[in-house]
Amino acid sequence: MDNLLHAFALALRNIKRAPLPYLLTVLILSLGLGMFFSNATLYYWLNHDPLPQKSHSLFYPQINSVLQPCDSCTEPMRVLSYQDVQKLSSSGIPSAQAAMFQSAGYARLPGNSDVSPTPVRLRVTQRDFFTLFDVPFLHGERWADDTARRELILSKASAERFFGRSNVVGETLRLGNELFTISGVLQDWEMLPRLYDVANGLNSARSADIYLPWETAFDLGIKSNTTTMSRDERDYSDNFAVNGREGQFYQAQFWVQLDSPQQVTAYQQFMQQLVHSEKEAGRHPRPEANRLTNILDITEHFNARNRQLDAFALVSLLFLLVCLFNASHLSLNRYLASQYEFGLRRALGCSRSQLQQLILADVAVSAALALFLSLAVAAAAMSLIASLLPATRNLTSWNPLMVLTMAGTALIACYLVTLYPALRASFGSLNRQLK
Amino acid sequence: MSLTLLFKSLLQRKVITALLLVQLTLTLALLSNSVLLSSQAYQLSNQPTGLQLDTTLAIELKPTDENLIVHPALGDLIQRQLAALRQIGGVRHAAFSNQTPLLFGGMNGNVYVEGKQDTTNIEMVPYNFAEAELFDTLQMTLLHGRWLSAEDKNTDNVVITDKLAKQLFSDSHLAIGQQTNGGNIVGVVADMMYQRFASDQYFGLFFNRDLNRADYGYRLLLQVEPQAVAAVRQQIYDSLRQVEPEIDIQQVVSLRQLHRDYFEQERGLAILLSVLSGLMLVVAMISAYSHALFHGVQQQNEIGVKRALGASKQRILVEVLSESWLTTGIGAALGLLASYLLQQQLATVISLPALPLWLPLCGALTLLLCVTIATWYPAAIATRVSPATATKAL
Repeated sequence: MDNLLHAFALALRNIKRAPLPYLLTVLILSLGLGMFFSNATLYYWLNHDPLPQKSHSLFYPQINSVLQPCDSCTEPMRVLSYQDVQKLSSSGIPSAQAAMFQSAGYARLPGNSDVSPTPVRLRVTQRDFFTLFDVPFLHGERWADDTARRELILSKASAERFFGRSNVVGETLRLGNELFTISGVLQDWEMLPRLYDVANGLNSARSADIYLPWETAFDLGIKSNTTTMSRDERDYSDNFAVNGREGQFYQAQFWVQLDSPQQVTAYQQFMQQLVHSEKEAGRHPRPEANRLTNILDITEHFNARNRQLDAFALVSLLFLLVCLFNASHLSLNRYLASQYEFGLRRALGCSRSQLQQLILADVAVSAALALFLSLAVAAAAMSLIASLLPATRNLTSWNPLMVLTMAGTALIACYLVTLYPALRASFGSLNRQLK
Repeated sequence: MSLTLLFKSLLQRKVITALLLVQLTLTLALLSNSVLLSSQAYQLSNQPTGLQLDTTLAIELKPTDENLIVHPALGDLIQRQLAALRQIGGVRHAAFSNQTPLLFGGMNGNVYVEGKQDTTNIEMVPYNFAEAELFDTLQMTLLHGRWLSAEDKNTDNVVITDKLAKQLFSDSHLAIGQQTNGGNIVGVVADMMYQRFASDQYFGLFFNRDLNRADYGYRLLLQVEPQAVAAVRQQIYDSLRQVEPEIDIQQVVSLRQLHRDYFEQERGLAILLSVLSGLMLVVAMISAYSHALFHGVQQQNEIGVKRALGASKQRILVEVLSESWLTTGIGAALGLLASYLLQQQLATVISLPALPLWLPLCGALTLLLCVTIATWYPAAIATRVSPATATKAL
């Protein structure tokens, strides 16, 4: 213990004796680590698996169902129509399945007609949405079935915003001109990246305030406020309850849970049979182009990766490398400046392991300082990124795992940049060192 | 100053020289490609828009009462709102549309020449509701035919942008009178930057029809006297609320702000890369400074001897600087090669133009300048070594 304290005392004395080279080394390391980790945090949030326990079982099915003939159209639509959802839901194979889309509306308490309504983010969906993505309930429960019903599920924040408390099951809320009963309140829940809506570029957007039943939305003419496409001549601003259900109006995402490879194969076969029977009935004029994409591949599938952030990540990784080489160079200079002292210690009987101990103490002090400074650099870089790229604002929060990784990397980086000087100190010619 | 001696001096410190070279090589490669990415982003955000960015205001709004979302109540509401806005001093023109220019996405449809769908189909073209006054509100330029009038209301007549006309008919004047799936073309206007995710950001199609439902809200556009922009913006909320309180005014923005948002990602990335480039140069300078300072101290005796043998201070200064210049020169030569390799790697991830030779060359010169500045002070210290020091050492 005394030896260890002595080693740390010596490390601190070394810093005091020549603070500038030491601080420059730590500063360069911190710049590299800080810039790299600010970017790595962004990259982590954009690319990590939000549902590690079940992501392997979540799939997005697509069929090339547009009724306009086109032989060269070999990619299915990114979004599905009501008819597509009906057909793809009819297999009975998935453990859970839900169609959905994002919309927006205005909500207010029934008695507050004088107060301006509050804009709210809506997710129109089916009951299995909450099973598919493991959405936790705080109060109440999901809808009993997928039929139309005037029941809403609220996020905890929305319940507190409208009612001042979270347990509001059974209360009523006006959405647009319609009155709804609240059947459930969710716990605080965010899924980042929001892979279930990545086709619309919403992977870093906030979750919905209010969840509305799928069939009810069609009854009320509520449409998606993201990608919608129509491929026929119907007027979708009129009688949407019928036109939206019967026409070629594409706006929905559809997810299925297939727990085993057998289920996946069975569902693929079901899609094939479905398309063949549709072709026989003359309702599938385009080439067969069935897709069943796992949730972890969905960003690539929709070409929704932020390539510019990828490029920036590569550049910041190379910047870290530059900083490591630079710090190694400075560290070697520092060693060469004090090689006489190392030689003297060895001449006085200091063993190689004792020398290593001194160097490791130096590494530990450097790593602690570098970590502290690089956290400051990373925080500054992240606030700069958040202000310059507002779309990534939700992706810049600290993650304990990332901070731990950063601490580990700082330690390894400090050791690496000291490794060669340490070897020269321990194994170099004693005569030369003393000379 | 012998080049051979300089090389020998560098080879005496192989590891340090190698580390320095790797670092200089990577720095130049990163610097060149960061500047390339930044300049690409800068060029993108400085494309012509065909719009009066500072004097055009866009109001995004949506009725909160669902009875007002549908025609004819909706049409009546819009006309009352436009009338109120025209009363504000400084407002030159006011018009309604379903969407403004400079958006990422919006209402799009495919366009093709009737009977030639296979050869002329264009997938994503912005479909814009347009009344007569939209022409003056957006300060459009008519190239061929005519703009839409009140008589065109709910007819098949459409106006398209120049670039769309050229895409469909190869020459825009040939478009007049042609029938497309979107309608009969009666005019062609100069290009305006409309939607980022359209097939081309200068494509646009305009028609004069009633908006049946405003599920996605609608936009009111104002052309304002330059000196009255701020005053008009302040009065918009009150003016619209007086017309109808059951309305959500989502935002009032100038097209300049929309243009900033439109290229936010590119601009943000350009600034980030510029910051990173600056940091790289700082790191290179720290490295050069510390290298020169350390070796100045190490070579104190040698310098002293040279001074004793008659070397002038200038000669010592040039000698120390020459070593930095040689290292930087070798690093820059390697960096030139690394710049092209990195550009090839980046081009596999993002769309990136070819790296022009002048860019890494300018980068190398900048690096040389930074290294010279950083080395100057340690070199100046080295020149102060007295010949007596050498005598003592001997």
